[in-house]
Amino acid sequence: MLTAGVDIGSRSIEVVLYDGGQIVEAITAISGAAPAENAKKAFFDAMLAAGARRSDVVKVIATGYGRNYFREADAVSSEILCHARGVAYVFPQARTVIDIGGQDSKMISVDGNGKVMNFVMNDRCAAGTGKFIEMVGLMLDVPLDNMGQLTENSSEAREISSMCAVFAESEIIGLTQSGTPVDVVLRGVFRSVAKRTLAMTGKVGLQKDVVFTGGVAKNAGVARAIEQETGVRLQIPSDPQVTGALGAALIAYDKMK
Amino acid sequence: MNHEVDLVRDARRRGKGVVGIYCEFTPRELILAANAVPVCLCGASNRTIPPAETVLPSNLCPLIKSSFGYIVTNRCPFLMVADLVVAETTCDGKKKMYELLAEKQPVHILELTQKFEEQEAFSHWVSEVGKLRKKLEKTFNRTITDDDLRKAIKDMNHERSLLRSAFELGKEDPAIVTGMELAELRYRVAGDPVHLRMLEAFMAEARDRKKHGKFAAKKGAPRIMITGCPTAQGTTKLIEVIEECGAVVVVQETCSGMKPLDIQVDETGDPVEAIARKYFQLPCSCMTPNKGREALIGKLAKEFKVQAVIDLVWQACHTYNVESFLIDRFVREKLGMPYMKVETDYSDSDRERIKVRVQTLIEML
Ligand code: SF4
Ligand code: SF4
Repeated sequence: MLTAGVDIGSRSIEVVLYDGGQIVEAITAISGAAPAENAKKAFFDAMLAAGARRSDVVKVIATGYGRNYFREADAVSSEILCHARGVAYVFPQARTVIDIGGQDSKMISVDGNGKVMNFVMNDRCAAGTGKFIEMVGLMLDVPLDNMGQLTENSSEAREISSMCAVFAESEIIGLTQSGTPVDVVLRGVFRSVAKRTLAMTGKVGLQKDVVFTGGVAKNAGVARAIEQETGVRLQIPSDPQVTGALGAALIAYDKMK
Repeated sequence: MNHEVDLVRDARRRGKGVVGIYCEFTPRELILAANAVPVCLCGASNRTIPPAETVLPSNLCPLIKSSFGYIVTNRCPFLMVADLVVAETTCDGKKKMYELLAEKQPVHILELTQKFEEQEAFSHWVSEVGKLRKKLEKTFNRTITDDDLRKAIKDMNHERSLLRSAFELGKEDPAIVTGMELAELRYRVAGDPVHLRMLEAFMAEARDRKKHGKFAAKKGAPRIMITGCPTAQGTTKLIEVIEECGAVVVVQETCSGMKPLDIQVDETGDPVEAIARKYFQLPCSCMTPNKGREALIGKLAKEFKVQAVIDLVWQACHTYNVESFLIDRFVREKLGMPYMKVETDYSDSDRERIKVRVQTLIEML
């Protein structure tokens, strides 16, 4: 008996097959222009790779923005719940998940079974999200992949006072015009992003272990800034993309029991 | 909405006055007693926001911007025929917007006083209501007698009690009506017999559904209360999202729901004072203190068997936004229920993201 989790995001699709003990198969595909069709193809590819038939898969849960359009699914589940469940499977000690994606940031508290106890999501403006950091990178002419490394040895940080993308832009221009080195500006930006994200802890608290996920988790500079602000060491999954699909497959399995 | 436009035009033709209002603090009774039609002018369209922003700052609540957009573009069919606009000193954004409106149209301001439980505040409000009576008498060149007022009080009490009974269909479990259906029951115009008949018809249909076991949502669908800023036809995004996620909005505590219907005007005693007393108890976040809102939320949560409370805050509505801290604490600690705040505007850009949060909340129940 297998269950499947299918995470249909705006950029990629992940499929995980689970047998109650371990991950049988995990594959990734591009969402493209026809996400529902591509998700179906990925789902069947995963079964093929696992040598499973459609009838072996007893429950399919879809999550992610495309969840409601995936016909093969028996049910849908919120990406926050799936993500948290997947993270807790990989890090059983996790009690808090910080997730900073392209357009939003979330803070989730989970119990020992990966059940979400509380969550906060900042979804109304790009401040402090991946988009914001991308914009700063473009302004300072620093590729995203180099950001973490560039700030590794800088001892100073000039924090920016406004996290509104528009105001931050002029503030950063002001700093570079006055000769502040790029690494100092960047470290300041990371510290501001960290503080802004941590402001959400007021609602959910910050219990250890803390896992950092989402596209921005790949940025070592931001991770370092959060660690410095909190004094807590962050756990960062090596393959963070698959957690949503994994969580969906796990939740599907729970429902079968 | 078309029917309401026709109704107002028709009233005009028959020589009736038309008075625009923007808030549930406006005593519609006085307007009816002056043989005029009270009509709500609150903007509920995203399209009128860009023209409003040519004058107003963009970080203002969408309700104010949308309302003002109708003013600058001269597109509001009601405003065009209004003899007078009655407005209150509620939130800062609205107050200052009224000054701009007053350059185009006669506006009468009612001054609301804070600390409503104090006698001086109430006396002041009674005199404000009295001044509105005079203003209406002058505008329409007629005397408003106490008997006119008493009749208007009866009519408005009847209208409110009908609307309230309709909203109370939300108490049924399993649900026989959706939150969207209930949201469509509100009318911009008060004192319209067609509206009252529509309410009766809706209630009859709902009773029929119950008899035939036709339910409006799946058995066990989570029951949600919306509190916070008012919605209107065209700004029901949050209700739609909640119901698309499989839950039912069984009650709105807001000004588009039960808030203005909870208390009636006393039909005995001095009519002006009775009217003043009813409106002064409206638990709006523009007032301080505003403990009445918690009491109302608590009462409705019980009566409607609510499982979670979602607080709607129009972006840049500071009073509701700040008050949400207190409501959050009240709902979680005193009612022991999940609470979520949704800050949004009239655009559709965040619909999917709101859905993620709402679905998470619902699945967690
Ligand atoms: S919420 Fe307050 S300001 Fe808005 S309509 Fe209601 S009473 Fe008036
Ligand atoms: S929603 Fe808030 S800011 Fe907007 S008009 Fe009402 S009280 Fe004022």
